[in-house]
Amino acid sequence: MNSFMSDFYQHWPEWWPRLAEAAKMTAKLSSAGFVMALLVGAILVAMIRGGNPVLRFAANFFIQFVRTVPLLALLLALYFALPPLGITLSGFWAGVLGLGLHGAAYVAEILRGGLQSLHRGQREAALSVGLTPNQAFLHVVLPQALRVMLAPLVNTYVALLKDSSLCALIATDELMLVARAMSSEYFLPLHIFLLVGLFYFAIAFPLSMMSRLLEQRLSRGRRVIGAT
Amino acid sequence: MTQIDVFWTILSTLMGGAITAVQIAVGAFVIAVSGGIMLATSITFFHLRVLKLFIASYIEWMRNVPALAHLFVIYFGLATFDIRLSPLVAAILGLGMVGAAVLCDIFAAGFKSLHAGQREAALSVGMTPRQTLLHVLLPQMLRVTWPSLGNYTSQLLKDTSIASAIAAPEIMFFARNLVTSTFETTLIYLTAMLLYASIVLPVSWGFSKAENHMENKR
Repeated sequence: MNSFMSDFYQHWPEWWPRLAEAAKMTAKLSSAGFVMALLVGAILVAMIRGGNPVLRFAANFFIQFVRTVPLLALLLALYFALPPLGITLSGFWAGVLGLGLHGAAYVAEILRGGLQSLHRGQREAALSVGLTPNQAFLHVVLPQALRVMLAPLVNTYVALLKDSSLCALIATDELMLVARAMSSEYFLPLHIFLLVGLFYFAIAFPLSMMSRLLEQRLSRGRRVIGAT
Repeated sequence: MTQIDVFWTILSTLMGGAITAVQIAVGAFVIAVSGGIMLATSITFFHLRVLKLFIASYIEWMRNVPALAHLFVIYFGLATFDIRLSPLVAAILGLGMVGAAVLCDIFAAGFKSLHAGQREAALSVGMTPRQTLLHVLLPQMLRVTWPSLGNYTSQLLKDTSIASAIAAPEIMFFARNLVTSTFETTLIYLTAMLLYASIVLPVSWGFSKAENHMENKR
């Protein structure tokens, strides 16, 4: 155990800058993926709720497709299978696109669920006091729906953060790829992969705790209206 | 070779990987469900601070670190102690241990949702605590958590693809090998996706069928 720890002390000055750099990349990758997931997810929900049956079918089909296909297959397809069709993406952007499309399916479910959780009367009341449909959505429906959506959205970000580790397989310089390179340099795989796990944990765990707190706090004052 | 022949070659190669993928999923499922039930039972019915803390840290570690990191620790890391596992065993162990943590959360919530009277009634008619757990609480808990178990299972089937990173010969592993030998990149990945869909969809369909069946019997 002692020699185990001393290996850490000995190599820490060399390891820290490389892992910190890689962690920045992981953060960038997962954040960009999350932003894209939010945008695409919102578009999907708009397509589902818009009333056009073709668009609704397309959105539902997309969500179903993404949920039955492993993220790794999606990433490898975006990275390797698009260039023959004339579209070449760097590892980073293929990763962002893959994480974004994958996350969008989950975000769409959360947004849809959040909007559905509100009583219909909320919107009707807003319209009846003279708000336009847009105002009713922005000032009445959305703020209330957001509190339902917030905790699951944070969970989605944590999931994307962990999933971003798969981008190591499409040559993105994030934590997992750097860790693999380091483990073959130093021959200390156990040290390095545990340490990298700790890096992920350090970002993911506080967020998971936050989402749990949010869930408790935001549901506290909420009056549940009879289901319709 | 015509395009159809190429497709059949790709499909038959990937099918071999599908068998491995299902083996990994089944093995991990067994570990995850039995581990999850044991952990959830322990934190629900044994009031031991140390035990609860230990299980809670296990769950948080497993759930907040990517599965890929767990697989690397088990496959590459354990070699430090001269424990060398085959990729298949490492994948089953890794995914199973993550699954046990995920299912423990689900099962514990399921136990909590049962009315306390269920347990009291069973004990008052003379059942032992063990019988109460096995014949009264566990079946009801499984029924409550059934949809979540179904979601977990389809997630697990997809996550077997991660095992290709430790060279377990499953679908994505063969797909990547085929790409370097045939260059039919687009066709290969499309076939791989179809193959996953044709495994995941029937399983999740089966779970919801079984759920309807249970609902009807109630």
